[in-house]
Amino acid sequence: MELIRKMPEKNTIKRRGILKGLVAGAAAVVTAPIVYVAARFLGYVSKGDSSNTSATVAFSDLTPDKPSKLIQINDEPIIVVREKDDQIRAFTATCTHLGCTVSYRPQVPDFYCKCHQGRYDVNGVNVPGTRPKLPLTELTVVDKGTDLIIQLTPKAKS
Amino acid sequence: MITDWKSHLISALHLEHTVAAVKEKNVPHHRSSIWYYFGGLALMFFTIQVVTGVMLLFYYQPTAELAHKSIERIMTQVPFGWLIRSVHSWSANALMAMIFIHMFSAFLMKSYRAPRSIMWLTGIILLLLMMGFGFTGYLLPWDQTAYFATKIGTEVPKALPWLGDIISSLIKGAKDVNGTTLTRMFALHVGVLPIISILLVLVHVTLILLLGSGVPPVAKVTGATKYFPDYLLKEVMVWLIGFGLLIAIAVLYPWELGKAYDLANPTEPPAGVHPEWYFMFLFQTLKVIPEWLAIFGFGILLIFWTLVPFLDRKANGGERSPIFTYFGVVAILYLCVMTAWAYIAVGDERAQTPTEKIQQVPKQGGDSAK
Ligand code: HEM
Ligand code: FES
Repeated sequence: MELIRKMPEKNTIKRRGILKGLVAGAAAVVTAPIVYVAARFLGYVSKGDSSNTSATVAFSDLTPDKPSKLIQINDEPIIVVREKDDQIRAFTATCTHLGCTVSYRPQVPDFYCKCHQGRYDVNGVNVPGTRPKLPLTELTVVDKGTDLIIQLTPKAKS
Repeated sequence: MITDWKSHLISALHLEHTVAAVKEKNVPHHRSSIWYYFGGLALMFFTIQVVTGVMLLFYYQPTAELAHKSIERIMTQVPFGWLIRSVHSWSANALMAMIFIHMFSAFLMKSYRAPRSIMWLTGIILLLLMMGFGFTGYLLPWDQTAYFATKIGTEVPKALPWLGDIISSLIKGAKDVNGTTLTRMFALHVGVLPIISILLVLVHVTLILLLGSGVPPVAKVTGATKYFPDYLLKEVMVWLIGFGLLIAIAVLYPWELGKAYDLANPTEPPAGVHPEWYFMFLFQTLKVIPEWLAIFGFGILLIFWTLVPFLDRKANGGERSPIFTYFGVVAILYLCVMTAWAYIAVGDERAQTPTEKIQQVPKQGGDSAK
């Protein structure tokens, strides 16, 4: 292709400059909204099913042999515990250290986190000297006879 | 500093020749120069597909139970989800349109001649891959049309002797289209096809940068534009226009989502189920001639079409080759006529089926489910 369009050198450069400016400007105008849309799209965080704030557990599900049960309300794991005196309590089961799910050890009794040997006492209070620095939250349990309703609201302080 | 780093990289990768070739590349001016823009447009839409596709992957869930729900969520809950999905769907169609224009213009301009025969071959494979994207992507929303169109599409190979059944069940991964099929289509759509096509697009585009654009044997070249940066700037302007149109259409006509298909509660197909427009010529051909004939016929035509660079001796010698030109024109006419005919047939079918009847069908079908 030896036939490159011959144009006075000055003129070509000027035209190229204008064109470059135009294209760069247009590209900038287009890029801003693209970045905004992409950020909003990728930044979405599911709120879960927020209409779901309670769950029902049958009292008979908790036996002296297996006195605890993990349930889930609105994407959160909850641990329901039947204590020695048959009292039923529910706690958030998400470890306050790095988010593992805690388990109940009836023989101790305490809540134990296998991930970094974190411990909480029967009231959900973190044991000093272990990794968790905050307690588990105790939740409201409504006793309906054979069934128990576990609510996502913290238990009122007594 | 930066130039240093660049030159080191270029010499380390032995790219001196490549860089020099790209710097020297010119785009010739002649009566048909305008068609040179379409490969670039295809490249832009392809890039949009990759980007929006990866974005959709953040929320899409590829199972028969969740697919439709997750798309509903994308469209109603995720900010701009409706837009990203609409852009992905519209851009897929734009890409197909660009590829068809690009392929037929390359054919009529005899751009397949040596040394660009590899470009023609990679191009054909890209066309097939893009059709593969279209076919596999169509099922992913798991709505009624998607389900039935895929059912029909995966049945076609059965007309082949011996291998037919095997091919059909391999595509489906099951006796009939079900959740396994969806997962399989998903794997192809987001794994297999992208890897192969991205590699091939890179080869195809690198080749045009190195070989430069071909000039039709009969064209009178009146000049040339330096590719870098002059032609590239023009090309970016064309891309911006294409992008603008795409966004406008995607916003004004958001891509729709049909009713979910429920495997446990089979329904009859909605009236006039049909594939995307770029499969309509195949769809209509299959309606009017026996399947095996269509498969063999198109198979032979595809082989011929692929081998054109080696068959068209005259064009390779720089002469006119009117027979090939006629063949290309006939092919274009065939596609247009069959596509139009297919749409007319679908329209008739819809007109004959009262809408209430379609809506009642689901309940009846449910009884035969188990
Ligand atoms: C993903 C799909 C494709 C992309 C992204 C793509 C991209 C491109 C680009 C950017 C060019 C240079 C600009 C131009 O001449 O238009 C080009 C040239 C070319 N493409 Fe494609 N293409 C695709 C599919 C195809 C198909 C389906 C064919 C035909 C079978 C094909 C055959 C060719 C040929 C022969 C050339 C050389 C054109 C010439 O020098 O005149 N391409 N392609
Ligand atoms: S996550 Fe429970 S102790 Fe670390």
